[in-house]
Amino acid sequence: MTARPGLDRRTFLTAIAAGGASVLLSATEGTAWAARPVKERTRVYVLVVDGCRPDEISATLTPRLAELRAAGTTFPAARSLPVMETIPNHVMMMTGVRPDRSGVPANAVYDRAEGVIRDLDRPNDLRFPTIIERLNERGRTTGTVLSKQYLYGIFGERATYRWEPSPLVPITEHAPDAATVDALIAMVDGPDPDLVFANLGDVDRVGHSDLTGTTLQAARSAALLSTDLQVGRFVDRLVASGKWSSSILIVTADHSMDWSIPTNVISITQLLNGSPELKAGTVIAQNGGADLLYWVGAADRRDAALAEISTIVAAHPGVLEIRSPAELRLGPEAGDLIATCRAGWRFSDPAVVSNPIPGNHGHPATEPIPFFVSGGSPRVRRATSSSAQARTIDIAPTVGSLFSLRTPSGGYDGSVRSEAFVA
Amino acid sequence: MVLSSRRDVLRGAGLATLAGAAGGLASGTVTVTAKPNATPSSTGFLHGVASGDPLPDGVVIWTRVTPTPTSAPGSGTGPDVQVTWQVSADDRFRRVVAKGATITSATRDHTVSVDVRGLAPYTTYWYRFEVGGQASPIGRTRTAPATGAAVASVTAGVVSCANWQAGAFSAYRHLGDRDDLDVVLHLGDYLYEYAPGEYQARDVVVRPHDPPRETTQLEHYRRRHAQYKTDPDLQRLHARVPFVVTWDDHESANDAWSAGAENHDPSTEGSWTSRRAAAARAYAEWMPVRFGLDGRLYRRLGFGSLLSVSMLDLRSYRDQQASSPVDPGVDDATRTITGSEQMEWLLDCLSSSDVQWKIIGNPVMITPVRFPSTLSMTELAAVRQLTGGTGIDGVPYNVDQWDGYTADRHRVIRHLRDRAIADTVFLTGDIHSAWACDIPADPLTYPVSGASVATEFVCTSVTSDNLDDILRVPPRSASLAVESAFRAANPHVKHLDFDSHGYSVVHVTPAALRMDWFALDERTDPASPARLSTSWIVDAGTQRVRRA
Repeated sequence: MTARPGLDRRTFLTAIAAGGASVLLSATEGTAWAARPVKERTRVYVLVVDGCRPDEISATLTPRLAELRAAGTTFPAARSLPVMETIPNHVMMMTGVRPDRSGVPANAVYDRAEGVIRDLDRPNDLRFPTIIERLNERGRTTGTVLSKQYLYGIFGERATYRWEPSPLVPITEHAPDAATVDALIAMVDGPDPDLVFANLGDVDRVGHSDLTGTTLQAARSAALLSTDLQVGRFVDRLVASGKWSSSILIVTADHSMDWSIPTNVISITQLLNGSPELKAGTVIAQNGGADLLYWVGAADRRDAALAEISTIVAAHPGVLEIRSPAELRLGPEAGDLIATCRAGWRFSDPAVVSNPIPGNHGHPATEPIPFFVSGGSPRVRRATSSSAQARTIDIAPTVGSLFSLRTPSGGYDGSVRSEAFVA
Repeated sequence: MVLSSRRDVLRGAGLATLAGAAGGLASGTVTVTAKPNATPSSTGFLHGVASGDPLPDGVVIWTRVTPTPTSAPGSGTGPDVQVTWQVSADDRFRRVVAKGATITSATRDHTVSVDVRGLAPYTTYWYRFEVGGQASPIGRTRTAPATGAAVASVTAGVVSCANWQAGAFSAYRHLGDRDDLDVVLHLGDYLYEYAPGEYQARDVVVRPHDPPRETTQLEHYRRRHAQYKTDPDLQRLHARVPFVVTWDDHESANDAWSAGAENHDPSTEGSWTSRRAAAARAYAEWMPVRFGLDGRLYRRLGFGSLLSVSMLDLRSYRDQQASSPVDPGVDDATRTITGSEQMEWLLDCLSSSDVQWKIIGNPVMITPVRFPSTLSMTELAAVRQLTGGTGIDGVPYNVDQWDGYTADRHRVIRHLRDRAIADTVFLTGDIHSAWACDIPADPLTYPVSGASVATEFVCTSVTSDNLDDILRVPPRSASLAVESAFRAANPHVKHLDFDSHGYSVVHVTPAALRMDWFALDERTDPASPARLSTSWIVDAGTQRVRRA
């Protein structure tokens, strides 16, 4: 591997991955590319198998993940948090606070200042300090290996070492897991940070488009099998490089996945057709199984209009519930109302053909996630299950505790999952 | 459960010689092999002690005193007496942690029920009562773990359908021999209302009911409860382990619903309202249950963060059973098995995030079960007698179960699915057979998708007749083909044993819930051994059963 200065205030490291491909990592200018020699290190790897359902991890379909889960401490009651989308849950993992404190409630929001619906993919969308920055402040090193372009966007250059996802699959804008794990291995072989936050996107991306999702889940199963091989490759590398005995793996997902047939589609835009005022005064940020509704009409009509919208939308058989952002601790960025669908349904706005993908998340049916702590570190509690309802928001406090970090100002909203570690 | 037309058949036959079964099955002669229990001739604590409904800080302790020889159960006579009670942290009562006194009288049939509070969580206690210098047997009980506390495991006995006339309560003896039970879940049909000769072990009345008639009035129900609590095996189990109970139909009358019962004739037996009130009052008096304050039997008990037990009452609020599985009423959205308040409460119990395993004490099966098309006429008739269904190919087989109230079942399944609620297990009685089932999100796509929202384990009967008894064949012979046909027609039914009697033990950890079924060699033998017949597991988060 070779380090070279960049054109901006970054330096780059080109590593050769196992398959011969080169992996480009970046760091802030002046950062050392070799790990500091420390006697008794703890290495923490947070691996997010994006969109994985807990019941998809099995000895037959995902033997390596199942093996890791059995060897460590698992939380079978674990849940994702609203809105069950990728960006907010990755942010919750790294901040330990709910969206009303981080500013990141969903993937897509209506930006009132700019007057557009957009992804929350800018570094300054995230208002709360992440565990990444806080570890850096304490002299630790961190790394991000995030397969999705918008995740790379929001976490930006916070980590000491970053990998910009490449090559990107067209449309999905994510890097295949094989490339992501190449980068992960290069990151660990090279600068070897104390914490690496990695997202594997194949299971989610294939799940979204799996037309057999409601029955066979053929493509999805193939993706699970493939991702499991990649996770196994990373574990094997940790073992081969002698890092396993100091490694703690926190494996989880940001949400799960639910499939709908083409007839089970809710278009709130169409539901509001009967009222030109309501239709014109409502902007919808679509998040798969959740629609965020923003009232942009006359201010003095706001309360009455939202009440009318709630009544109209709630009457649809596919709608599960309408909640306020405050109830879900989502903050003002989430708008005025959150509509979620029942299992087996999806939202599609503005038209019923706008969201053709069968696999969606964002609604409560997609809350369950795998969540387990494994690895070779003697700190990991072996072969245990806990009834505690672990949540994505628990990861930052747990990682902070492993590195003896103080709680952030105002405290965490999540909890340290101490059940997973020996006292 | 449905014992359809049994009563009609028996009415015509009298008690000496009774037709055995409907549908062309072999008939037989009922034989009474024992005398009714003599009226208690002594005084004191003749019906044992019991405890129930453990909370983290309390438990109900129960007994019945007989202050004078004539103060027999149901007699309505006898003096008011003061009964003192003690709860101790040791079995020699050196560390008494709670004590008190209460007055009981003929008004409550001289039963005593104390809801002791101020106890420590997850702690074993001993308790006893005293009246007039006479001490009761010593009972042992255990409080529940603290709310939210991590709990490594909970083990519970699971029983239902104990017909005194059909055999001995060996199942209770075997449970009483164990020392690992935190609680016993009794899922209903703790007793039966029938007169001697109306319902027994095939044609043999192993021991006749007291009073020697069908229970229809308060006195009858009190005496029936009292008789059951003279059984030594049941007394011993009550004294060793706290019970959590709910009723099914036979605590009042067969196929009870909110305004009547199959086994109730208002023209000769008075109003259903009176009869039901009598049955409920006797139940509240004689069972160690926190029941009566608000008239609600359905309730939820927590065991730390590991599990909750929500006990359902599926008799008090339900609409009348549909006339048959093809009656359009089966799918009528306005018909209910739970009642609206209990349904809301149940859905809340299921979506509560404070515990991992949501165990539902469910008196009748919720898994959809459809009749196979390959049964012989004899087999069809026998299953029909066991379940009360019609036996029409492809239709639900039992309208007394949730199958007869599909709108309510849909509400439950949709709630589980919409909220992706994990680790819900229905523990069920009623049907005198052992089942392990996935509860499909959609039975039509289940064979391909395998999508399951919850699971159900059904314990068999302690003594009550099942398929081999109705077919009059040896156990595990003719029933095997019937079971295979049911499994083939219902791929989500993974295990079915239509023959065995006995009990179950459920063992719950954060990783899995396992149920063991124990079968008695001979239900009429008070010394019958029991053997493990099968074990099934639900791994956490899977909503699927698998053979252990």
